[in-house]
Amino acid sequence: MSALIPFHRVNVLTGIKSARLIEDASEYADLIQKAKRPLLVLGPRLLEWALDGKLLIEYALEIAKAANIPICATAHVKGKLTELGVKPDSVYDAVEIVNALKDPDWKGVKRAGNHDLVIFFGIRSDLGEQSLSVLKHFAPHLKTMTLCKFYYPHANYSLPNFRKDEQWKAFLENLIDNLKKGE
Amino acid sequence: MEFHIDLGPQYEGESIRKEDFYVEFGGSAVKYKFERATLKSPEEVEHEKVEIIGSDIKDLEEGGSYPLAILIDVAGEELEPDMEPVIERRIHMYSNYVEGLWHMAQRNDIWLRLSKNSFKKGLNSLREVGEIYNFLFTSEIPQIEKIQTTFITDEKRIEELLPSALEVYEARDARARELKDEDVDEFYYCVLCQSFAPTHCCIVTPSRLANCGAMNWFDCKAAYKLDPEGPIAGFPKGECLDPLKGEFSGANKIVAEKSLGNYDRVYLHSAFEHPHTSCGCFQAICFYIPEVDAFGIIHRDYGGVTPAGLKFSTMAGDTSGGKQVEGSCGMALELLRSAKFFQADGGRKRLVWLPKEIKERYKEFLEADGVYDKIATEEDVSNTDELVEFLEKVGHPWIKGEVELPG
Amino acid sequence: MAEVKAITRKEEEVRQLIKAEIPWEPVGPTPMPEIPDLRSWDMRLLKTYKPWYAPFCDLCCLCTYGKCDLTENRRGACGLDIATQQARIILLACLMGCSAHAGHAGHILEFLIERHGPDKKIDMGTFIELEAPNIRTVTGLKPETLGDLKAVIEYVYKEITHLLDSTHMGQEGSYLDYESKALHASMLDHVGMEVADIAQIVGFNYPTSVAETPMIEMGWGAVDKSKPVILLVGHNPATSCTLIDYLRDNDLYDKVEVCGICCTALETTRYSDRAKIVGPLSRQLFFVRTGIADVILTDEQCIRTDIPIEASKAGSALIATLDKAMYGLEDATDWDTEEIVKQMVEDKKHFAILDPEKAAEVAAKVAIKIAPQKRKEWITEEEATELAKKCTNCDMCERVCPNLFSIGDGITEVAKGNFDLIKEQFNLCIGCGKCEEECPKQVPIFKIMQVAASKETWKIRAGRGPIMDTEIRNVGAPLTLGTIPGVIAFVGCSNYPDIEDVADMVDEFARRKYIIVLSGCAAMVAGMKKDADGKTVYEKYSPDFDAGGVVNVGSCVANSHISGAGIKIANIFASLPLRANYEVIADYILNRVGACGVAWGAMSQKAASIGTGCNRLGIPVILGPHSSKYRRLYLSRKEEDDWRVMDARKREIVDTGEPSPEHLAYVCETKEKAMVTIPKLCIRKNDTPQGRSIKLNHYISLYKKYMGGGLPEDLHLFVRRSADIPLVYKKEVMAHLKEIDWQPKEPVGLPTLIGTYPTKVPIDAVIH
Repeated sequence: MSALIPFHRVNVLTGIKSARLIEDASEYADLIQKAKRPLLVLGPRLLEWALDGKLLIEYALEIAKAANIPICATAHVKGKLTELGVKPDSVYDAVEIVNALKDPDWKGVKRAGNHDLVIFFGIRSDLGEQSLSVLKHFAPHLKTMTLCKFYYPHANYSLPNFRKDEQWKAFLENLIDNLKKGE
Repeated sequence: MEFHIDLGPQYEGESIRKEDFYVEFGGSAVKYKFERATLKSPEEVEHEKVEIIGSDIKDLEEGGSYPLAILIDVAGEELEPDMEPVIERRIHMYSNYVEGLWHMAQRNDIWLRLSKNSFKKGLNSLREVGEIYNFLFTSEIPQIEKIQTTFITDEKRIEELLPSALEVYEARDARARELKDEDVDEFYYCVLCQSFAPTHCCIVTPSRLANCGAMNWFDCKAAYKLDPEGPIAGFPKGECLDPLKGEFSGANKIVAEKSLGNYDRVYLHSAFEHPHTSCGCFQAICFYIPEVDAFGIIHRDYGGVTPAGLKFSTMAGDTSGGKQVEGSCGMALELLRSAKFFQADGGRKRLVWLPKEIKERYKEFLEADGVYDKIATEEDVSNTDELVEFLEKVGHPWIKGEVELPG
Repeated sequence: MAEVKAITRKEEEVRQLIKAEIPWEPVGPTPMPEIPDLRSWDMRLLKTYKPWYAPFCDLCCLCTYGKCDLTENRRGACGLDIATQQARIILLACLMGCSAHAGHAGHILEFLIERHGPDKKIDMGTFIELEAPNIRTVTGLKPETLGDLKAVIEYVYKEITHLLDSTHMGQEGSYLDYESKALHASMLDHVGMEVADIAQIVGFNYPTSVAETPMIEMGWGAVDKSKPVILLVGHNPATSCTLIDYLRDNDLYDKVEVCGICCTALETTRYSDRAKIVGPLSRQLFFVRTGIADVILTDEQCIRTDIPIEASKAGSALIATLDKAMYGLEDATDWDTEEIVKQMVEDKKHFAILDPEKAAEVAAKVAIKIAPQKRKEWITEEEATELAKKCTNCDMCERVCPNLFSIGDGITEVAKGNFDLIKEQFNLCIGCGKCEEECPKQVPIFKIMQVAASKETWKIRAGRGPIMDTEIRNVGAPLTLGTIPGVIAFVGCSNYPDIEDVADMVDEFARRKYIIVLSGCAAMVAGMKKDADGKTVYEKYSPDFDAGGVVNVGSCVANSHISGAGIKIANIFASLPLRANYEVIADYILNRVGACGVAWGAMSQKAASIGTGCNRLGIPVILGPHSSKYRRLYLSRKEEDDWRVMDARKREIVDTGEPSPEHLAYVCETKEKAMVTIPKLCIRKNDTPQGRSIKLNHYISLYKKYMGGGLPEDLHLFVRRSADIPLVYKKEVMAHLKEIDWQPKEPVGLPTLIGTYPTKVPIDAVIH
């Protein structure tokens, strides 16, 4: 329950329960692999951010592929996915996907049962934090995790506010490697 | 299907200025132009073929105006010759659906422009336009089993084919003019507007088109064929109970059903006793003027008032809503051309007031009835007293008692 | 089952207030409704459009038992749970919004009755007979004079008290009931707004019954800084119109420049087309800090609460003219004018002057005196570059920015002499000043932004007030037949992801022949972009309420004309009676009017109540991403929810399976997704096949543009029969439907919710 302040001040936690900070990529990979039905929710910032010229969406797709995680493409992310030859399993927006996730009886994007670990990546942080709040309060049956370089208090598991992009890049690459090993 | 440009109704109404067109076809600068749809037998049509006789767009000089003929040949078991004009009118709509293509008018008056932008995007051949026509026609009208589009830009060839096209147009017009309620067994009803006026139903016959002005008997026939489960359907006209007032047992049955039982008799050609109802979409109102026991017409675009001082919007409130209102009937402006225009009440010969714009537009018909110069407009009178004076002064036949009601 | 009840004294009093004896229409079931009267309608709405809560805070801090942790189903000391706490805050926000407009309305009404007398007739012009659609529908009164409006606003005041009562500790325990109360407060907000704008139009002679209002100049470049400049900030035209009158009467109007920020600019330019609009709320702090204003007049709402401090820093004089915001200043209302002027000019003191005429006189005199002493130059690029060199890239500015971008990056570029990035970023800036406040090197960010600020002048149409009855009648047929695919209202504050988003959306949909209406800050920003021909959307499109028309109704209070237009359609086109008949009218609009609101930059409590008021009336609203911080949306779960309606023709309940509209209050993260969602939210169950096919044409076309091609995943829910499929996509859609084994269903001609839930309203009431 660290009292770490999120990178964007507007997301500061006013409360007691806060995300567990994880900096070790293998720990993250472990959590993902232990999940029975993970879901990766992708937001449009992934189309704008790049690390050394490689768009974050490509990292996201590698993660999805390495761990065989279904994808929910929010906003207009699907446009880019189509270009890259990937078909998402859902095109719900952020507010819609959490609306469905908080219903324990929802069958999930693959109709195989609701998800137990939801990973958020690339939603603008204020909307992301609010969406996480929905699940924090109303979806005790699942856990949430974030991959952006900001600390998200409302998640269950979050990365720190990476000061340098290199650190974030290293984390993501390590994560992908770990997930591939565990295949 | 992939085209170089986008398609859709969002491109209708985009106009292309002189500076912006790559080439222009038809229009007043060009003598020879026409478009025509023809029903042929299946052997005569090579499905989805596009033929260009003469130069194509990319061979023409930028900025020029050129002659053009557009021929759409169709074949299909369920198609009828009466559908040719309905199919032909679609050329206008489909052309305007094309991003950067603009089409005006019809028949031998057509005028088209292709924008420089769309030419740059790759729409540089009539072949593609033809493919688009073929695509849209077969998308919309499944009864078209085979379709072939031909473009002719060779002036001589167009000149040769023009006379037979003109004959076809004339034959259609003659048929439309001559066809009467008596000649057909089937009338049509339209309930498109019932979401706004739940008890309204238009009855469309060869002598009476829909109130909104968009559908005549031929349009309804084609629409019913193409979409049998739609808001427009045919019904047997039944027994003619009153030929003058236009009462038919079939129509009565339909309105009873469609008006939720609100009324069960309708006179198609009279404004009294059982007049036809309106929703809210009518183009004009034919209204009774008690002081002179005659009728006036006011249309939607008219900004002024009737001699009684009422605006269209006020009168429309009473006329609309699917109720039978004696002496206040919503109508299409084209109804003025009908031989049976309110015939039971005296027809055009009982018109005493019209907005000037309408009077001029239908001058020919009013002159034929001998009432053109006996009808007052907003320029002649501004209240009912002045109207009475005017009519007496000019000697309007209805006022003089000279008009005999037929039958 | 209903007993014949005797009329109570309260009911008798209401009947007197609404002049029930004047039979312009029979009085419907809910004249001047109170909290329980429309509750069954609310509950029916909330059953399908369930409240979605994103708690902004895990705690409740309202009473001294707190702070109470409400996570993991914990209840507070009073028994309240997290959902109910969010709903309570929403009710509070809607009450604040409702009060803002009711206060404005009450104040302006008193002011104008003082000027014109209570018998001043309400005349909205030749083409508007339906003068007060919200007032007629909600209260049952047809107001004929300014005096008649008093009973209306007093009813609103009364309801506010009862609603606020229920937010006290230990009151409502159901989030659904708090939502019902929020819907009630918000419906009343529209009534209050209508009172305000009718009073203003009548009392100040604003344009009405005319579509082609004058073009107004907008932007920093529009302000003539060679003259003394008076800046108005706020919402209340009592101040601004009085100022204009004073300047005209004293032959000063040519010599003094009057400009405004926020809604007061929209009000002032309806009174005089020579006033200038500086911009929306997001430009307030910038402009104040430039010092171009010599005198700043504030009235109420959305004003920087530290404006006296900022004014002093910039060398501007400040007069607070309304009791809602007096900033601890001395109240000089009864002082001698010359004394006030002297102290303001020589001692640089600010004052509160609650008398508009005195405030106007002082403002003019002070402006003329101090203008010559001030230097009003923009900083140069060289100066900016120098100042920018102080930046060390610590990124504190990015951390505190509510719009989540790094102005520090822009400043770093400026330090290198490169201005491209900061010019782009100016469009993202919402003008809060937190970056500058936080900067450890005290880089004067706002000053540097002066080189980024566009000095352009844009053209915007002056607000034209209500939609005309004739315009409503004109669009009835095309709306039914589908040639107009819907009505879209762009409203709300300026807390956008990107200030150009609204202009882009307006242009896209006006081009596609939707009817576009705008109000408030949204109306301003829509005009802040020029196309390749140098035209804003106001110059490019016609100002008529018609296909492809772009209509500016006016300020925040003019939002009542947007809900009013929906009500007018029900009455003028479908002939439904309005009087005290709210439930039937809302049911009609929900099921049969294809309208959608877009509050892209909503920030304030007023925006919350305006949006929620639209929701109760059956109009869905799309919000921008910041609005997730309002804490509550109204979402359905598509196929999973109850889409049964009563077919009022056949008198049977039909399960349409069609989510139309799918949500009532929704958040889109990006402008692109909003473009795709808007046409979908304009679909209604009674669409004719033509109408449906045109709406689906735009849905599919925009989907293909922004989602990389293909067809929308939920398309099959909106195709009833093949005639609904747009021509251009027919083959593709038919193939797709075949693949998923789609079955056609019968369209419902007369869909209504009446008859599907317990209500006093009989089914016959939905057919006239």
